[in-house]
Amino acid sequence: MPAFTAPESGEVSDSDLVKRCQAGDTRAFDVLVNRYRGKVYAMTYHMIQNETEAWDLAQEAFIKAWRAMPNFKLDSAFYTWLYRITHNVTYDWLRKKKIQGDGEFDDSHTDHRVAAGAEAVARHEPAPDTALKNVELGVRIHEAIAQLSPEHKQVILLREVEGLAYEEIAEIIPCTLGTVMSRLFYARKKLQEMLKDTYENAL
Amino acid sequence: MKTPSEDHDLIRFLDGEMSDTERASFEVRMETEPLLKSEVSLMQRMSADFRTHVPAEMPVPYADFFNSQIQMRIAQEEPVTLPAVRSSWFDWWRIPTLATAAAAVAMGGFMIVQNQKQPANNSMVHSIYVPNPSVQAHSFHSNEAQATVLILDGVEAMPSDRQMVSFHIERTETDQAMATTTLFGESGQVVAVVAKDSRNQPRLVSANPRG
Repeated sequence: MPAFTAPESGEVSDSDLVKRCQAGDTRAFDVLVNRYRGKVYAMTYHMIQNETEAWDLAQEAFIKAWRAMPNFKLDSAFYTWLYRITHNVTYDWLRKKKIQGDGEFDDSHTDHRVAAGAEAVARHEPAPDTALKNVELGVRIHEAIAQLSPEHKQVILLREVEGLAYEEIAEIIPCTLGTVMSRLFYARKKLQEMLKDTYENAL
Repeated sequence: MKTPSEDHDLIRFLDGEMSDTERASFEVRMETEPLLKSEVSLMQRMSADFRTHVPAEMPVPYADFFNSQIQMRIAQEEPVTLPAVRSSWFDWWRIPTLATAAAAVAMGGFMIVQNQKQPANNSMVHSIYVPNPSVQAHSFHSNEAQATVLILDGVEAMPSDRQMVSFHIERTETDQAMATTTLFGESGQVVAVVAKDSRNQPRLVSANPRG
C-alpha cells in the first residue's frame, strides 16, 4: 500500500496531480486546468489571433490531454507535454483552415487586438505620448506575428513569450535543435524586416 | 555571406544559449563587425518589446464555463478510456491492509459514519454508495446496541463466517483546492483521503486504515 501523505496546504505538484488524473480523478485535472488555462489560451490566441477559436482550441487541448493522460509517463514536465498537445491541436486547426503553407505574409485571417500595453493607459484621460507609441508598437508586433508562417510563429512564441529553452522547444514541436535555431533565426529576420520602419521612424 | 552556423551563433548569443567561452568570443567578434553589433542590438530590443507586448498568460474569457465544459466533456467520455479506473469506494475492500484485517464482502456499499464529535449514540450514516444498481442499501442506528446496521437488499446470501469490517469516522476535512476529503478516525488519525472520479462517484485517493 502506498504510504499516506496528507496534502500540504501549499501548491500540489503537477506530477502528483497527474498521478491522480491517471487514477481517474477529474477534480485533480480541474486543478491542472486552472493552473495552465491562461498559458494554453495565450498560446492558441497568439497562434490564431481569434478569441473564439482560441478559446475552443485551448479547451480541445485540455480534452486531448485528459484522453492522453494514461500514456503520459511523466518523463517530461507536464507543461511541456501539455504545450506539445496544444501545438498539435493548433496545427491541426491551421491545416484544416488551409492557412499553413500559404499563410506567410497573409493577414486576412487575423483579428488584431490592441496590445496589452494599451490596457495600461487610463481611460478618459489624455494618453501620454510614450503610451501612444507603446500602443502602436504593440499593435505592430501583433500584426507582424500574424504574418509569420505557423512554424516561425510557433518557435518565436515558445522562445520569446514562453521563455522555453531550445531543447524544450525541440521536444514540443518536435524537431532537431538545428531546426529550432534555423526557424528562430528566420522568424527574427522576418520580424526585423516587418518592424524595421517602426523602429527607425516611430520610436 | 554568413553560414548557418554563424546565424545560429547570433541567436544562441541572443538567447543566452552560449557557453562563457563562446560568448566572450562572440563579443570580441561584435566589436570588429559593426553590422553584426547593430543587428544584435536591434534583435535584443525586439525581444524585449516582444516580452512586453505579447503576454505569456492571458485571462480566459468565461473561465468558469471553460472549466465546466471540460469537466462535462470528460464525464461524457467512455470509462474504458481511463486507466485503472475503479468504480467506487468499494475498492477499499481490496486494499491489502484491509484484507489482513479480514475484510471481505461479496458486493454492497460503503458508508461513512460521522458523528461530528458528538456522543456515539448520535452516530449517523452520512453517505451510502452502492455500485450495483440492483442492490438497495439502508441503514439504522441502534442507540441501545451502540451499533449502526447496514442492510443490503438484493445481495446474494453471504456465508455466515464472512467477516466484515468498518471504520468509525470521527470527522472529515475538505480541501477545496484539491477537491479532496480527508477522513479522520477516533484518535485523530487519517483513515483515508477520497475524491470523485469522472462519473462524480467517490474515489479513494489514499488510505491508512490502521492509522
